[in-house]
Amino acid sequence: MNALLALIGPAFHALQTQLPAQAPQGNNIVGAQIAIGSLFSLHILIAGLVSGAAELGPAIEFLGYVRQRRSYDRLAHGLGRFITYYFSVSSTIAILLITVLLVGFWGHFWTTIVTIGWWPLFIEAWTFVLQVSLAYLWYYTWDPLRGFKGVHMAIGGLLAIASFLQVFMIDVVASYMLTPSAQNPIRLALNPTSYPLTVHRTVGNLAYIGFAFGGFCAIRYLRAKTAEDKRFYDWAGSFGLLWGVSMTLLQPVVGYSYAKEIQLHSYGSWYKMMFGSLSPVFLWQITLLGIMFLTATLYFARRLRTDQAKGSGILKLLSVGMVLTTLLAAQPYALGFSYETVAAAGLNRPFWEGGLINPLGSMIPWKVLALMFYTLIAIAAVVWYLRGLPGVVWGTARRGEQRILMLMTVFTMLMMVTMGFIRENSRGPFLISGEMTIQGQQDVPSTQPTPQSSP
Amino acid sequence: MGRRLRAAYDWFDERTAIRSLLRKGLYEAVPVRGAWFYTLGSATLVLILLQLITGIFLTLLFVPSVTEAWQSLNYLKEHDAFGSIVRGIHLWSAYILLFVIGLHMVRTFFSGSYKRPRELNWVTGVGLFVLVLGMAITGAFLPWDQAAYWTAVVVTNIPAYTPFIGSFIRALWRGADTVGPITLSRTFGIHVWLLPAILFPLIGAHLALLRKHGEFGSYINYRGAYRSREGVDVPPAPAQRPIEPPYPAAPSDELWAAPLETEDFYPHQTVKDGIISAALVVVVFVLAVVIGAPLEAIADPATTNYTPVPEWFFLPLDELLVLVPQQLIPLVLVLPTGGVLLLLALPFIDRGPERNPFERPAVMVPGAFAVLFVVILTLLGSGRLFNL
Repeated sequence: MNALLALIGPAFHALQTQLPAQAPQGNNIVGAQIAIGSLFSLHILIAGLVSGAAELGPAIEFLGYVRQRRSYDRLAHGLGRFITYYFSVSSTIAILLITVLLVGFWGHFWTTIVTIGWWPLFIEAWTFVLQVSLAYLWYYTWDPLRGFKGVHMAIGGLLAIASFLQVFMIDVVASYMLTPSAQNPIRLALNPTSYPLTVHRTVGNLAYIGFAFGGFCAIRYLRAKTAEDKRFYDWAGSFGLLWGVSMTLLQPVVGYSYAKEIQLHSYGSWYKMMFGSLSPVFLWQITLLGIMFLTATLYFARRLRTDQAKGSGILKLLSVGMVLTTLLAAQPYALGFSYETVAAAGLNRPFWEGGLINPLGSMIPWKVLALMFYTLIAIAAVVWYLRGLPGVVWGTARRGEQRILMLMTVFTMLMMVTMGFIRENSRGPFLISGEMTIQGQQDVPSTQPTPQSSP
Repeated sequence: MGRRLRAAYDWFDERTAIRSLLRKGLYEAVPVRGAWFYTLGSATLVLILLQLITGIFLTLLFVPSVTEAWQSLNYLKEHDAFGSIVRGIHLWSAYILLFVIGLHMVRTFFSGSYKRPRELNWVTGVGLFVLVLGMAITGAFLPWDQAAYWTAVVVTNIPAYTPFIGSFIRALWRGADTVGPITLSRTFGIHVWLLPAILFPLIGAHLALLRKHGEFGSYINYRGAYRSREGVDVPPAPAQRPIEPPYPAAPSDELWAAPLETEDFYPHQTVKDGIISAALVVVVFVLAVVIGAPLEAIADPATTNYTPVPEWFFLPLDELLVLVPQQLIPLVLVLPTGGVLLLLALPFIDRGPERNPFERPAVMVPGAFAVLFVVILTLLGSGRLFNL
């Protein structure tokens, strides 16, 4: 024991002399960014699931009621259980983020943003209370209200509305940080990116929960002991993936619209994403989207082939189309770190003229066309999979399909983190775009970067 | 007094056969299930009639010239409270009509009511939808305020992207290189004469076909709705009552022939139709009184500080035009044209007897995504309504 104390003692002594007397405001910006960024990512990964489950769960319950299928009811019930388990985890991280990290590291910023966004945050707090109350009520009245399904579904509907409102209110504040507008509650709520961000995130959360429970069901399928469980988890995994893909194929349009608003109202951030230091991450994001669609199409083809159902061949052809589209989308525009660096070196001309520009990687028209093809091929894949489903016998899936479902969950989480990283870093060096810098949280005169001639 | 009235009625009936006409019109057997969903068609008709009546009133005062169009409507706004409300009813019933006819189409699509033998009901319905949209777009030009002028500039420019004949169509509509007096008078002519001249006969054809083939055609009304995937568990067919017109109107799939349960059109369905239509008329009236029809400043082609805001029903296309790069705009404009052609061709593409939406993924999924995209583009574009 004494030896242990002798070992720890000097370490404590060293820490005592080296630790700052107060929170490291402005002293260790990178450390603060890493701590806040990583914890926010973790928070969003769980909160996105909870929000998505609270919106999708009631919808699945309703679908089960309309179709009179018990499997839907079981799936919705499972999502309800997930919400009751993980709501507190997500909330704890959020509270830790606010009370310790945001107030401690960026106190001035936090005070400012709460002052500006007081109404949205006030409403968000109450929708949070409503959401948690309804979530537990929805889950724990499942059996008692079995004879009053209409009432139970109404509770679920209210839960979905409360969850949507909560996300919307948070998005009002988050979008304000990127595209600040006049500081009154209505203009704040209607700032240029609040709307597209809310649609983008709502659709994203709905897709994310589909992919996530698809992966979860794949694990449960592999561990299932009874034929009934195998049937259920096989079906639910397929349903989750199908739902996730169906929601994700809306994102090219929604995401493009969001980017357009950023271009119009926060040009500096947009330039950074498209041509600056974040452009490699953006390229990764659009490539990852193609990989996700491709992986899902492969699952569809494999799942139909396992039971010799119709449509597997066409789905393989669609996979080839998806590979080609992903290759087109993954073309870098600048054959350097970014267009910004290439332009700075005076090499912004096509590579066959000795420059470092690859015209096939330009956003217009090639990446826009790639996004259109993503959507169209994914719709075709969903249609052909659904057409083939009557030939599928649930409970007969092989391990390969389950691995694909798990992989999709990982890809989705990567996508969520990538998008969060791009959005939060596009503002840099600002915490509130054009108004407050990260460095020492200094207020700056409100000057938005103005559009320049872009390549 | 009663006997005289009866005598007068008999006299009238002897000459017009009104009694049998009413009987035929009111006592048709209609399916019981899903009756509330089927009120959208009659609500559409009521709103179109409201458009007609208020439109006639407005033509009594409106002057379709660039110097007086705005003045005449401004006179209503400033000096004629009743006229102002009539204009409000015209505007708001048009907005709600677009919404209701859209819902009616979506309902018909999802329930598979366009299938044999109702293909032509669907085709005339698509025609009506396009015409109503045309009425709304041309109507938006007429007030000749800033919003109307810039809407005219944008909308009349759209046909110019049509290959080969685009410039000709634009010049034909505008009557010149730019939007001006001839554009207004031509658009007025299209709005009050050309489109209604096609619209009302088409409504007649739609209703006649509806009566010929029987009401509704949705899967929930038929034996097929209770068919399991393996084709078993079909409940025994109920005793089919003699009805006019007889089901099936055409020798199609037996499962989709006679509705399981029927009731008389009057009073059962007419009461439901009446409730929904009356509620919509009340909503229109309240909106017309409380909000009214806006009238911006008179059109000024030389203005540089006016931000045009599209009409809400134009938002999906407007958002697409905003999003898509200049080079791809012709491609985008193929979408609505191709969409209408696809809608017209739908009953001839999806010919299977299956009506259950969950068993028709090849049609339902693209259709559902099309609806979703329209909703999402409207949502995304609605930011511009607040002039952000």
